[in-house]
Amino acid sequence: MPTTQFSLDIKKLDNFAYDMSRCIKCKGCYWVEHTYMPGVRFSTRCPSNTWNDFDAYGAFGKMRIGLAMIEGKLKWSPKLLEIIYADPLCGACDVGCKRNLDLEIGLSLEAMRVKAVQEGAGPMPAHKKVAENIAKTHNQFGAPHENRKKWLTADIKIAEKADVLYFVGCSASYVAPEIARSAAKVLNAANISFMLMPDEWCCGNTLFSVGMLDEARELAKRNIEAVKATGAKTVMLTCAEGYRMWKVDYPKLLNISTAELGFNVVHFVEAADEALKKGTLRLSKPQNVRLAYHDSCGISRLADPWTPYSGERGWMGTVNPRLKRRRGTSGLYAQPRNLIAAIPGASFVEMPRTRENSFCCGAGRGTKEAFPDLASFSAKHRLEEVREVGAETLVSACPWCKNNFSQAVRQNGDNIKVVDIAELISASL
Amino acid sequence: MALKDDVAKIVGEGNVSDAKKDRLMYSRDYSLVPPGIPDAVAYPSDSLQVSAILKYCNSKNIPVVPVSSSRHFYGSTIPKQGGLLVDLTRMNKIQEINDADRTARIEAGVTWGQLTAELEKKGMRMIMPLLPPADRSVLTDWLEREVPTNTVYDYGEPMQAMEVVWPASEPFRIGSASVNGFPDSKSRGGNPSGPGLDFYRLVQGAQGTMGIVTWSHIKIEWMPKIDKILFAPVSDLSYAIEFLHRILPRRIGQECMVLNNVDLAAILAEKWPDDFDRLAATLPAWTLILVISGLFRRPEEKIAYEEKFLKEVLRNEFRDLVLTDALPGFPGAARKLLPMLRKPWPADKPYWKHQWRGSSQSLFFIARPASAPLFIDVVEEVAARHGYPISEIGVYFQPIEHNRACQLEFTFFYHEDEAAVIAGLYRDAAQALMNEGAFFSRPYGELAPMVYERAAGYSAALKRVKKVFDPKNIMNPGNLCF
Amino acid sequence: MAISKKAYNALESIVGAKYITDDPAVCEGYRSGPGGYESGLGYERVMTKIPACVVLPRTTEEVQRIVKVCNRYSVPYVPYSTGFYGPRSHCHVENELLVDLKRLNDFEIDEKHMYAVVGSGVIYSPLQEEAMKRGMYVIIGGGGAQASVIANLIGDGWSPLSHRIGLPHRRILGTELVLPDGELVKMGSLAVGEDPFWGDGPGPDLRGLLRGFTGLRGCLGIVTKMAVKLLPFQPEKPMPTGIAPNTALALPEHRMKWINYQVPNKAAQVKAMFEISKAEIAGAVTKVPLFWRAIAKAECKEEFWDLWGKENEETIKNFHIVRVLLIGFTSEEQMKYDENVLNDIMAELGSQPRATKPSDESWIKNADSAGMWLMCGSYVSVDYIIETLSHAVQHGEAYADLKKKYTPPLMPDYGDPGWFQSFELGHQGYSEFLVYWDQDEDTTGVDHFYVETSKMNIRNRFYTSLLGPHQPLYLTGPKYGPNYHQWLLKVKDEFDPLWVCHPPTPLAHDVFVEKAEWMKSIKDWEVPKKFPMPKWE
Repeated sequence: MPTTQFSLDIKKLDNFAYDMSRCIKCKGCYWVEHTYMPGVRFSTRCPSNTWNDFDAYGAFGKMRIGLAMIEGKLKWSPKLLEIIYADPLCGACDVGCKRNLDLEIGLSLEAMRVKAVQEGAGPMPAHKKVAENIAKTHNQFGAPHENRKKWLTADIKIAEKADVLYFVGCSASYVAPEIARSAAKVLNAANISFMLMPDEWCCGNTLFSVGMLDEARELAKRNIEAVKATGAKTVMLTCAEGYRMWKVDYPKLLNISTAELGFNVVHFVEAADEALKKGTLRLSKPQNVRLAYHDSCGISRLADPWTPYSGERGWMGTVNPRLKRRRGTSGLYAQPRNLIAAIPGASFVEMPRTRENSFCCGAGRGTKEAFPDLASFSAKHRLEEVREVGAETLVSACPWCKNNFSQAVRQNGDNIKVVDIAELISASL
Repeated sequence: MALKDDVAKIVGEGNVSDAKKDRLMYSRDYSLVPPGIPDAVAYPSDSLQVSAILKYCNSKNIPVVPVSSSRHFYGSTIPKQGGLLVDLTRMNKIQEINDADRTARIEAGVTWGQLTAELEKKGMRMIMPLLPPADRSVLTDWLEREVPTNTVYDYGEPMQAMEVVWPASEPFRIGSASVNGFPDSKSRGGNPSGPGLDFYRLVQGAQGTMGIVTWSHIKIEWMPKIDKILFAPVSDLSYAIEFLHRILPRRIGQECMVLNNVDLAAILAEKWPDDFDRLAATLPAWTLILVISGLFRRPEEKIAYEEKFLKEVLRNEFRDLVLTDALPGFPGAARKLLPMLRKPWPADKPYWKHQWRGSSQSLFFIARPASAPLFIDVVEEVAARHGYPISEIGVYFQPIEHNRACQLEFTFFYHEDEAAVIAGLYRDAAQALMNEGAFFSRPYGELAPMVYERAAGYSAALKRVKKVFDPKNIMNPGNLCF
Repeated sequence: MAISKKAYNALESIVGAKYITDDPAVCEGYRSGPGGYESGLGYERVMTKIPACVVLPRTTEEVQRIVKVCNRYSVPYVPYSTGFYGPRSHCHVENELLVDLKRLNDFEIDEKHMYAVVGSGVIYSPLQEEAMKRGMYVIIGGGGAQASVIANLIGDGWSPLSHRIGLPHRRILGTELVLPDGELVKMGSLAVGEDPFWGDGPGPDLRGLLRGFTGLRGCLGIVTKMAVKLLPFQPEKPMPTGIAPNTALALPEHRMKWINYQVPNKAAQVKAMFEISKAEIAGAVTKVPLFWRAIAKAECKEEFWDLWGKENEETIKNFHIVRVLLIGFTSEEQMKYDENVLNDIMAELGSQPRATKPSDESWIKNADSAGMWLMCGSYVSVDYIIETLSHAVQHGEAYADLKKKYTPPLMPDYGDPGWFQSFELGHQGYSEFLVYWDQDEDTTGVDHFYVETSKMNIRNRFYTSLLGPHQPLYLTGPKYGPNYHQWLLKVKDEFDPLWVCHPPTPLAHDVFVEKAEWMKSIKDWEVPKKFPMPKWE
């Protein structure tokens, strides 16, 4: 029986020909997982296909398009680029498919973008602008690099050397400093000593996500070296996108496993939850709010650690050696809920779509820059759920989510407060 | 006469007649449909004869009116354009009773009397409409979608695979009987659907206008081991209907119905008119009748859990309903009524609806159960306008499948010479009911044009289907929208 | 590949520019296969095409207008709800319009009268959830929760829960059908008013045009709205648990319970079904193919083969399970009664209950149906029959024999006779055969096996789902009815004289056999010189 060599390497779309050709069009990538289906409202979890109803915009459509790309059947066009890039790569499709099957949907979608960049068709102009900004000023926004630490206030204690390195990220540094401040205050209050990167640069999430692998790899190497040079044992982030990038995609870019990074990658909610359990973090100030929590994709569906793989595929598509697939089981669901439960006076309601069934805010991985309409649509769609459960405050764990939801709330004229979980915890210190 | 002679070549001399007395027998029935007389009557003995007859009539453009029973209520077997009446009562074999798969195959002429007796010998039964006459065709009653008194089975329809003869075709088997060589096949006739299309739907409710169904498989059931019949006097029908909405979806009971005093009196009375007068005057306005049963295994346990459930519901939610195993003031009602519900009405007794004044007309339709009181108001208002006493209307409420819907039936009793008045009442009541949303799914006689005017799109599509199966419109013309 | 400019403009004015496309990339997204139900086979390779144009209507009225435009400008079209049914639900000719019905997703529920009204875009799991919130349930067909409710009810539509109701046909109430020429037929109580609560008539029942035993694949029009029966359930809602991929519904302990029984032999398995049906208990009774157990246990495809590879004909022959779902519809006492009766029956048959998980993954919300494709990548239910239980038992044996001849390329199943169970409390029996293969191998054997199964059914006088558009009409037609195909074709000609609705269905499989070289060797039935339909390419 002839075998095919393949690897989970997104630099070659061919590696995913089997996966794309075995998509059964069940749309498990599109619907909320049926066990958890909440009813006729809020029945989907694919932002791209909920925004645009043509099949091409769901993963099941993209699998067919990916095959056509391999077969040379399609010419690059604005429409084809839109199909590939109007997508926050939130992982709902990958996890949905892997409930029952062994197909690598998420990696196929990443590989399609890599191919677009390789062939000079992609990324979108807005992404190229981001790349320029990063090249010039080491942040997404093109803001002055020297202002990166301006979020710091005098009352925040930063250690010269510590086990924990807080990687703040571009968003919290420049557009959502309240998140960084709140997180820092919480860490201080919990006696968690932490340091910052001496010279923090963008993590490269957008570059990687839109297929600019070479640029992203350079940043990855540089950032990892910089962390190692500090002697940090743990890199902690308040940004779910950054968390995913460091934990999953840095190893992917360097063809190593997460375990081989040389340090742990954690999200703020993990550090805070641990402190809460140990008793070093105490939340005493009451907040009488009815709140809902949005599970940001980077710390839910997309959080499984990375292990490189290459092997061969043979009879009936079986692979050798055995491959333990990433099925989205490592989501940080308990930690934020523990933290919220510890806030005196707070009343927590789950939304109809929760945990791995959450509906992405639509901002991440290059989407908001190139497709602001999709990002706005997704956020507004998610806000319907917030209204449905009567929540006054929406909490998330990523500045991208916060920013996108905040804009949508303003546009809607909703009476909903949007906060990051760091702010929520900080307000109860 | 050419018709008779030609048909005689198919069925034999003794099995066709153009004698006036024979033809007159089919010219009227219990309905108000005006009389019509066939040109001849044929009595075929098998499907091949039926097929030959239809081929012949189709070639000569002769209308065909199929008849399977000896007693008719709705006028659909009265020839409207002359032609050949095909009487299938000789085709009355129970061809097979398969108790393992719980199916029987019966010819069109098999009657309720015949079938229930045969099944009883094996400890079996069929679900039944309310008191069908013993000499009516079982197959026809189910084809025409009579509503069963049994509400507990989710699978409602008793009909399975069948054979039909379309004009100008060989006998055609529907459903799993379509297998070549049936019944000498692995297929046992249990599936009515297919092949290709659901032909069985097209002949249901068709009043013989599509083709002639010569035999059919039907579902049969085992007799329960224990039966208990329960009664509740009811003054507020809505209250009783709410109770049924509560208990029937919980799969309580076998037979279940609500009858008003007039109908129940007519059913129970033995000595006429004394029994009837007394009963009609003293029975409660409505009586809810519910049969609960224990089956083969642990029958007492089944009765026990149903009774426990009923007791709790009545105590906690329906205190005003008193459900017991006797009809207060009428000892022996239980012992009398239960067997009646499992047997047809004896052919040698005047039909229960005819015992009072000799004639009756029933207006029945499908409705949402909660609308029953509204429809009753509508009918009473029309009856009053026509001078028909409200206290003399028979009303029968039959829940369907867990009470998701119901059949409501109004019966008007009259002497023959009052027919014209009743005709007017019937028509006006039907119109008024339709205006309020009553769904006449079985439009007999003059109900048909009323219904099909409202269902213009449906009627247009029906005609196109009819064109395929009966392009010359020889099958029972003048009925439905044909 | 395109439809005429005039047609495109007319269609655009109906749905608006946002909901029509002829972009090649977008149309490519509607490709049939190469993975999916019945995909990776000859039929899909030969008969399916990428649409030239796709529209997304929102209402019945828009659908009607679209169909009329298609008739006006001779544009072939195919109705498409989810596309999950495989090649038969995709475009079959060049320059075809695909009418994507997903936006027809209105939903209403009438709790008291136990029905829901759905558009073609509504799938099963939301309907099930809405029903269960209100103490009711629906039967989700084996295709899974992702199937369109309407498409499933006019196509297939059965599951172990059919133990109580059987035919999905009678779950259909008031319905709207847009005929192939664009006329609208409303059936049941909808024929005379706005209320869809009842499905029969008036008079003869035109629901007969919606399907046969299995569906017509949309070649006789487009159903845009349907009222669907909901069935009374028990009051404690099963709750979802777990994180993907290990999600399940936790069953309320005193009102729902699956029990697996191991029985000594096949005869006992069959007897169990007869007896349970006769006793009129249980919500579901089934024997499922043993490889489903391996799928349920396996975390990945390789683990499946570890498990399945250990089986052989002997182990299969000697391992018989009857799976029963008890539902306390009436009360806890009723469930206890059902369980007592069930244990009486199983004890008589020499069987004991086995430890069974108090949860459901497969048949209430049907979340794991996609697992059918785990093992090999390709799958189809090649034949599935509702007849009597007696028929189901015999069919399995004949079929298993034929299947051996075609293994490989079919996945080895060691003679497992498939899925069978009682329907309609024993008035019917169900048997289904699932086959699996790898589409990268030579699948000629699978194409042949399909047709050979039809022939086996004919020879052995079995009823079958391989009728209508599923297999060559000229093969099965003369042998069932007889000549049901002539009636089907006459009805098709009456309602779709241009054959503009999903051509060349119902003759699609006949056309496939003519076009595919490798099918010539098994074609031993007569066909007319020219198929009686207008020519589409």
